[in-house]
Amino acid sequence: MTPFLDMQIGDRVITLMAALVLVLQIAMVSQRWIVVHIRIFAAQSFFLAMIAATIAWYNHAPHIYIAAALTLVVKVILVPILFERLVERMEIHEEIEPIVNVPLSVLISGGLTLVGYVVAESFYKPGEPGLGHNMLAVAISLFLIGFFTMINRRKALTQVLALLSLENGLFLAAISLTYGMPLIVELGIFFDVLVAAMVLGILVYRIRETFESMDVSRLRRLRG
Amino acid sequence: MLLIALLLIPVAAAVASFFVRRREAMEVVNVAGFGIVFLAAVALAAQVMAAGTVLLCNGFFYVDALSALVILLTASVALVCSTYSIGYLRDDQQSGALGDDLTSIEQIAHLRMYYSLTPLLVFSMLFMAMANNLGVMWAAMEATTLASIFLVTFYGKVTSIEAAWKYAIIGGVGLSMALFGTLVTYYAGHSLAGSDALSGLNWSVLAQHAAQLDKTSMRLAFVLILLGYGTKAGLAPMHTWKPDAYSEAPVPSAAILSSALLNCALYCLIRFYILTSRCLGPEYPGHLLLLFGLLSMGISVPFILVQQNYRRLLAYHTIDHAGIMTTALGLGGALGSLGLMLHMAFHTIAKSLLFLCAGNVSQHFRTDLFSRIKGSVIGAMPLTGVVFLMAMLAIIGMPPFSLFQSEFLIVRAAFDGGHVLTGVLFVLFGTGVFAGALLHVGGMILGPKGDSPPAGPRPWRDGSLLALAVALVVIGFWIPAPLFELIRGAAKVVSGQ
Repeated sequence: MTPFLDMQIGDRVITLMAALVLVLQIAMVSQRWIVVHIRIFAAQSFFLAMIAATIAWYNHAPHIYIAAALTLVVKVILVPILFERLVERMEIHEEIEPIVNVPLSVLISGGLTLVGYVVAESFYKPGEPGLGHNMLAVAISLFLIGFFTMINRRKALTQVLALLSLENGLFLAAISLTYGMPLIVELGIFFDVLVAAMVLGILVYRIRETFESMDVSRLRRLRG
Repeated sequence: MLLIALLLIPVAAAVASFFVRRREAMEVVNVAGFGIVFLAAVALAAQVMAAGTVLLCNGFFYVDALSALVILLTASVALVCSTYSIGYLRDDQQSGALGDDLTSIEQIAHLRMYYSLTPLLVFSMLFMAMANNLGVMWAAMEATTLASIFLVTFYGKVTSIEAAWKYAIIGGVGLSMALFGTLVTYYAGHSLAGSDALSGLNWSVLAQHAAQLDKTSMRLAFVLILLGYGTKAGLAPMHTWKPDAYSEAPVPSAAILSSALLNCALYCLIRFYILTSRCLGPEYPGHLLLLFGLLSMGISVPFILVQQNYRRLLAYHTIDHAGIMTTALGLGGALGSLGLMLHMAFHTIAKSLLFLCAGNVSQHFRTDLFSRIKGSVIGAMPLTGVVFLMAMLAIIGMPPFSLFQSEFLIVRAAFDGGHVLTGVLFVLFGTGVFAGALLHVGGMILGPKGDSPPAGPRPWRDGSLLALAVALVVIGFWIPAPLFELIRGAAKVVSGQ
């Protein structure tokens, strides 16, 4: 049997790529340079698209190809280009010290991955044929680590990237649980992600203009 | 046909407002657009009452009494706010509130943003209420956030950008949880017979087969949905964006957000509540809803008591009422559902009226603080003062106003259903809010005439105010029979009886 039809090889390829996605998510937790952060996000989205394409190939589900192509266009190309331009215009390149220091953050991310595996266990039905049982665990871990990064970082743009990586986790969960959402929903989600990236990008720029900083911990006038 | 009109007209109004160069043209486009939308919404409600649920475009659109009610309320608020905003924004333009040294072209650009984003916001809300597919419903809900972010930053102040950031980020996280919940719901139903990639998330399919959904998944899904759409509805403890966004946005936008958008978020919760209670029985989702509802009511009380800013006071009121409606949904049953739907209708009128009054006061006195106004409202602007006080009495549940009836129904539902603790807490929190609001607003409106000059004529704003005030008084005594039928129909959808 050729490797292109063998499910086991497909399973391994997907598991490998899911692992890469997870590693990249943890790399984002420890990254200080914003441009590198954006590129890691692009790389993560690229592997996500590859996972989707692989699943589409082995399951003969053509509509997942569309989701993969959309991921490629929106999250690997458009959003990173948009954000890198934003960084250039704002001239802020380095993240200030996160609230929890880097070694501890990585440790916490490891713990969250463990939580992801425990939660995913309840969805696992033995004997059910399918690809990449690790995928759901990775997806939930992405979601949780994305949450943690949002709380931990203080730069507005980093928080937006964390929100988008959290959304990557949802995408992975969707293709692992149900082989993707219905196409119309998928289209709606991608449209929203694109518009959200633009709107939040403009908002980040205005925060920088108004506060002469992107540090959202300075946003503390409104109380009570 | 009606549905298409309801969706296309706001989009057309948004596009037209974006391209015209004159302020008057934008005003006409908006008022005319929302006028037609309102008529179409009434016609749609009539059609639903006459012919039952409307399914269109291969089941892509699904409108039952519940959606028709939400659509009708959204369209009414949008119409009133569009007439109000003519006077409001003209005043802003003259007084330089849009920014100190803007040229007239920059001012028009500002107005253009307002007049094209508002129809888009209304479009997303209408689309949300019509979508059969729960995923599409989510996407429309996310679109409401995106359309309203730049309404919050409208004045471009330091504080409005802060408010918009909180709104965007907290809303974004909340909605991603709601998406996760939607996804898990899809998973719970994807092994159903007859479910395919196209209709697998359709409400009409899921609701029919709710009993066969995977129970473990639905448990998880409902928690995620409650946290997600609860954030959008401003339930405690995810409510922190609300006072900021409502006090920074232009008043007509704040009125839309606090009444129509709150209804939309609750609508999403209701849809999933129905699914979950048919799958797991009403106790599980009911208890969770009661917890969040009572928590929101409880948290708003101290903030209302010590509040110094009247627009933030109204925002905490909205949190309180989101809590009341969530509690009513949690109680469920025929009585709780009827109370919920009546309350939704009454609250929409009263809360948008309150925000419009607050807008009048804020524009005249140039402050949002109680301490600077000190009772001179009634002297300077008698009509606004009277209506403000009346709406305040209505919203804290004074008889004979309508909200007393719905809150009374909800309390009765609590005691009838054996939820004694809920009933007691409900009354207790209600009393706290009552005292706080009356104290502050009474002190602000009634008092000796200050040195503030009497306000000039403000036909657009006062006209909108009066229309809502009349509606508020009239429905306290007499609800038109077709409207009551619609509300009862919606309550039947919720309770399933």
